[in-house]
Amino acid sequence: MLLNFDRLGAWKWILLGITGLTTAFLILPIIFIAALSFGSSQWLIFPPPSWTLKWYAAFFADPRWLEAAWTSLRIAAIVTVLSVLIGLVASFGLVRGRFIGKEALRALFLTPMILPVVVLAVALYAFFLRVGLNGTFTGFVIAHLVVALPFSILSITNALEGFDKSIEDAAVLCGASPLEAKLRITLPSISHGLFSAAVFSFLTSWDEVVLAIFMASPTLQTLPVKIWATLRQDLTPAIAAASTLLIIVTIALMLLTALVRKGLKS
Amino acid sequence: MTLLTEPDNRTAAPRARSVRSRNFALTVPALVLLVVFFILPVVSLLLRSVMEPEPGLDNYRALLGSTTYLKIFLNTFSVSALVTIVTLAIGFPVAWALAIMPSRWASIVFAVLLLSMWTNLLTRTYAWMVLLQRTGVINKTLMGLGLISEPLPLVNNLVGVTIGMTYIMLPFIILPLYGVIRKIDPAILQAAALCGATRRQALTRILIPLAAPGMVSGALMVFVMSLGYFVTPALLGGTANMMLAELIAQFVQSLVNWGMGGAAALVLLIVTLTLYAVQLRLFGTARMEGR
Repeated sequence: MLLNFDRLGAWKWILLGITGLTTAFLILPIIFIAALSFGSSQWLIFPPPSWTLKWYAAFFADPRWLEAAWTSLRIAAIVTVLSVLIGLVASFGLVRGRFIGKEALRALFLTPMILPVVVLAVALYAFFLRVGLNGTFTGFVIAHLVVALPFSILSITNALEGFDKSIEDAAVLCGASPLEAKLRITLPSISHGLFSAAVFSFLTSWDEVVLAIFMASPTLQTLPVKIWATLRQDLTPAIAAASTLLIIVTIALMLLTALVRKGLKS
Repeated sequence: MTLLTEPDNRTAAPRARSVRSRNFALTVPALVLLVVFFILPVVSLLLRSVMEPEPGLDNYRALLGSTTYLKIFLNTFSVSALVTIVTLAIGFPVAWALAIMPSRWASIVFAVLLLSMWTNLLTRTYAWMVLLQRTGVINKTLMGLGLISEPLPLVNNLVGVTIGMTYIMLPFIILPLYGVIRKIDPAILQAAALCGATRRQALTRILIPLAAPGMVSGALMVFVMSLGYFVTPALLGGTANMMLAELIAQFVQSLVNWGMGGAAALVLLIVTLTLYAVQLRLFGTARMEGR
């Protein structure tokens, strides 16, 4: 009765009403920001008095915005590669290995996910100040790698646990070297896990704010840090333009994920 | 023949052992990264809370003995509790509807949930700063409708933080709760109907108790994540309702007081890990993400 949509009676409309309102609540602010980025009003009046591309022109004309975006992209790309590689190797150890303290190690690898980021940010900031990594590109990559790695390990161990190792053993029996069997049989079979590891690692680094605020220096900052610093001064529509570009990246990644999932299934 | 196979048999055993140790070796890069750049920095930050400015528990005495800081602790807990209650109240009916509505509609709602979750945190917070400001759309609309004559103060206060945090946390409660409700056998509710239960009875005596583990687990997750949140409270909240994460950042960045910063971090860490342990104890698994 309560779990049958057609037999809910009047409750059906209440549930649908709440769901509709919640969906609108979740989507409208995103549409709103995208719309405002094309609005001419400096004061973000809505609906805008007229439409313009000047905030995008300002974004692309300002080397600081572009540089921040470029820095973000480079950091996220390197973090993605390292996180998938280290995560892949560690996952093989966690899934295939038989050593004491394996479960404890697995739990340890996931702790950066549950620890409040601000604690890690402050701790790493103190450490980086001492060793001279603060405000450096390497520092950013390390900080983001620490928070991205758990997602990578989680995705890849899941995929690896679902893979039947006897297929790899069969390849070895048929004359493949163990490495060849891993590269040509196992890796393609867990590619969905590797792909989600890459997407999550990229997004974790690309969107990361808190660590970046502490790591940033006047000469090196990521896009979220630039948005944060601008936000603290005023709510200029330039942020709406930058935000809309970020939303487009997000949607592109979502579509890519959906496409890859579909491709892997067929 | 025997001469040839024997050495092979002998090397087989040590080889198996070396494979095991090699498998452990595979986890070493990740382990080194986490020990050097995660465990050691966090431990040394916590040590500074009892070492600086001089050895002892003075920092904790100052932190727990002052009404200013106690107010911040209290505020952190009450904002997190409020956000948890609101997300649960909205999230339960939405998860319920998602579990039973036609899949075409459900997939639209899922797409929106994912888009909202994946959109940059600052973008979402910025959207609410613009929407809620004095001259923002919400105040303009309410004044246009004649419901209010003066703009309502919606940002830099509890209202702003609650709206912004609820917005961010909703997917984290809807998605797991959807999974739990989806697993409930509809036949149980049919049986209740056949036995004469009214809709209200079926809801309060069957559906809610069966969904309760998912509700508690989702609520714990949202509560823990809210406790350590930094960005949204810093931008949408006011100075009067500062939260713990902001206090930690302020100790370190503005006051350069590492001792107090470490002490406040330890308090947040203990609360978070305790609640996480409760979650693990009750439900076996936990997946969280804090920003």
